[in-house]
Amino acid sequence: MKFSKTISVFGSAVLMASLAAGASIASAADGPLRGNIRVVIGSTSTGGDTYQNSSIVVDKLAERLDLNMKVDAVGATAAFRALDRDSRGNTLMIFHDQSYLGYLYGVEGYDNIFEKYTVGPTVAINPGNAYLVPKDSPYQNMTDVMDAVGNGETVRVAIQPGGVSEIGFSAMKNAVSIEHPGMEDNLVAVNTGSQADKNQQLFDGQADVINGSVQANEQYTRLPEDDQKAMRFVWLTARNGTIEQAPEDGMGQTDREQLLEFVEPNVTVTMGDSENFTFDKEFFFLYNKDMDPAIVEQIDTALEEIYAEGEIQEIQKNSFFIPNFKPSDEAAAYLKDKMTRYEGIINNIQ
Amino acid sequence: MEFLSLLDITFFLLAALGALVGIIFGAIPGMTATMAVAVCLPLTYALGLNHGLALLLGLYVGGISGGMVPAVLLNIPGTPSSITTTFDGYPMAQKGQGERALKVCVIASLVGGLISAIVLFLFAPILADFSIKFSYVEKFLIIFLALTVIASLSSNMLVGIFSGVIGVWLSLVGTYSISDGGNGKTRLMFDFMEPYLFEGFSLLPVLIGIFGISTILLEAEKGVKSGLTNEKIKIGKGAGFSLSVFKGRLTNLVRSSFIGTFVGMLPGVGGSAASVLAYTQERNLSRDSSEMGKGAPQGLIASESANNALTGGALIPLLSLGIPGDSTTAVLIGAFTLQGVQVGPLFIPENADTWYVMMTALVFANFVMFFLMFYAIKYIAKVIMVPKHILFPIIVMMCVVGAYAINYGIMFDVWTLLIFGVLGYLVQKVGLEVAPLIIGFILGSSAEVYFVKTLESFGTLSIFFTKSPIAVVLWILILASVAFSIVMRLKSRRELKADLPASRLNKEELS
Repeated sequence: MKFSKTISVFGSAVLMASLAAGASIASAADGPLRGNIRVVIGSTSTGGDTYQNSSIVVDKLAERLDLNMKVDAVGATAAFRALDRDSRGNTLMIFHDQSYLGYLYGVEGYDNIFEKYTVGPTVAINPGNAYLVPKDSPYQNMTDVMDAVGNGETVRVAIQPGGVSEIGFSAMKNAVSIEHPGMEDNLVAVNTGSQADKNQQLFDGQADVINGSVQANEQYTRLPEDDQKAMRFVWLTARNGTIEQAPEDGMGQTDREQLLEFVEPNVTVTMGDSENFTFDKEFFFLYNKDMDPAIVEQIDTALEEIYAEGEIQEIQKNSFFIPNFKPSDEAAAYLKDKMTRYEGIINNIQ
Repeated sequence: MEFLSLLDITFFLLAALGALVGIIFGAIPGMTATMAVAVCLPLTYALGLNHGLALLLGLYVGGISGGMVPAVLLNIPGTPSSITTTFDGYPMAQKGQGERALKVCVIASLVGGLISAIVLFLFAPILADFSIKFSYVEKFLIIFLALTVIASLSSNMLVGIFSGVIGVWLSLVGTYSISDGGNGKTRLMFDFMEPYLFEGFSLLPVLIGIFGISTILLEAEKGVKSGLTNEKIKIGKGAGFSLSVFKGRLTNLVRSSFIGTFVGMLPGVGGSAASVLAYTQERNLSRDSSEMGKGAPQGLIASESANNALTGGALIPLLSLGIPGDSTTAVLIGAFTLQGVQVGPLFIPENADTWYVMMTALVFANFVMFFLMFYAIKYIAKVIMVPKHILFPIIVMMCVVGAYAINYGIMFDVWTLLIFGVLGYLVQKVGLEVAPLIIGFILGSSAEVYFVKTLESFGTLSIFFTKSPIAVVLWILILASVAFSIVMRLKSRRELKADLPASRLNKEELS
């Protein structure tokens, strides 16, 4: 690298650092959205899928709108509060199905998003929500797990309660109540927190099945069986059609064909009425209810243009996200319907 | 050796820039290494993975090290892991040995950082396998062991334990978070406090308030004029530094570095536990620990080598399990995620180039940190020569800005800072002890989480004693630590009694 280029890269890094530190001046923009825009997300992790996906979308959006936008990983409660406080549109939120599942599960700090906020456009799906067992587990697949529960064996499932991690467990419990009535209590939730905690439960032999993800656990599934850390996928909750859209190479060294072995119809968890349970973790915007509708329109239009160009889809797919843009109205109706379906499952098992 | 082609001038410049910016972040009360890494994380998009990692690792090393500056000079822990640095650093600065104290800290930091980098390089996968043997039980016991420092730190054991319990109690205010497997309901507060205290008191505003603001209040009470002249007389005297300070301290240095690395590699135990644990062990195992807490360099060596060793330690589970070891590596993992690189048990074998690049950046950042700080110290140390009527308002302003920024603009954090500043002042006035209180506060909430999770998982209290040989070893260490404190206390009381009649006799003779 030439020295002048070195200097310019170095100089731009310094400049960007100072910009990132908040010293930037709001850039002029034509639309109703102006000034510095803070995009809060419902997760505190910058290593997780919410941050990753939000960064991709916000980066493109900032470029398109010529605005200074920044993703802040503040966590669900703080994010909802930040959104409550700002009706100007300078605080936006990106989150996923947890935002209404938390409400359905009665988690403190969660309200009905369809009443309290304006639901914005969906942007992507993370198809990676998964359930795993130790590699040397006697349960080869989900049928074995369900049969064991039906035969009176206690099966412990490590989940983080009150959301995306729990919905698959609720579906399993619902399926047991349909296929093996009266045996539901044999399926026990082990309430944990982070992915590290769930993994640790498996290593300690304190859980038989854990909730995880293709992204976080794929490498563990490639460890030799005699490794204490080795795991196996038994179920991916995504729809078959969703995984079909994933890149052919899949994730890590597990390709799409291998991943398809763990979704319906190869793995089925019944919802009754010959319907199988599936769950796609979808990311979408949330806005303050009193925010100017013109901003909703502006973001919809900008995202429509971004998705029409097609570049963002490539970036999302490279990071194992499935592009899924739906404008605000369509997204709100779709997600409300989705919530109603899962509400049924949660009510069934209570 | 293909990775050598990835190391260009930009790489080293970015690592150096990272170290410099990190030191500044660490040195400003309220700004932390975690914050520095979080702020610069989006830059990895533009810089690419290797250059991005150089910058972020520089920030990490610099940020952890920078915390020593306000800890020594102003009694404000710049980062939570430099809390034990205040115990001896500030008394030394008050004696006019600020420069000497900082130089001890810088060397200890370098050694700690390098030892942990070597351990990371040579043993990461093996140690990661060892770290997963630490379940909730063992993690609780590690925190419990760190809590035993309360016994040896207190000048009056009963008061110290009482202060520690208050600290633990304060740490439990808020919710038992759902992300920790709790029910997310608030507790230990009235309903009207819920909007403010939903997530409890933030750690850093509490730390800065109870140490920094209360120190300023106590100093201000003494009067500005007299303080100023005192400092003028004292500065420069006894400030000389020579490597002989480290004579006989090699064991301490190496032991503390290993403790830091070890605690760093246990996810969820927390960075502050590393320096607290190293400090406890030095206090218990050293032959001459009586001066610790009053301005002994050995306390600084223990604290600073341990907290810098944390950097390599915390990278062990990150790179070998995909699990961050501390709050900063939890942000750092974002650099990989943003580039679509998976971190997990196969990261090192599958990404050898990135792995070597990271090791180079880590080692290089440690050296840059050393040179930047070692030679800048004599100027930095002059901070305490600034007249207090100018210095104190600046510090208070920086503390307020830092507290406001730490959670991205929560005004209650500023109130927390001021409340705990006044509380810290009052606590010292009524004779309670600040250090045990704050250690209780830092470690209390994770102790609770692991205690409750143990009972949830295993359903019996006896598991704490029977879980594994590791648990038994930890119990032995805990008992030894408590027993040592009691023995030391009895010994000093006997010595005091022996001294008393003699001095009384002397007085009578004189009269």
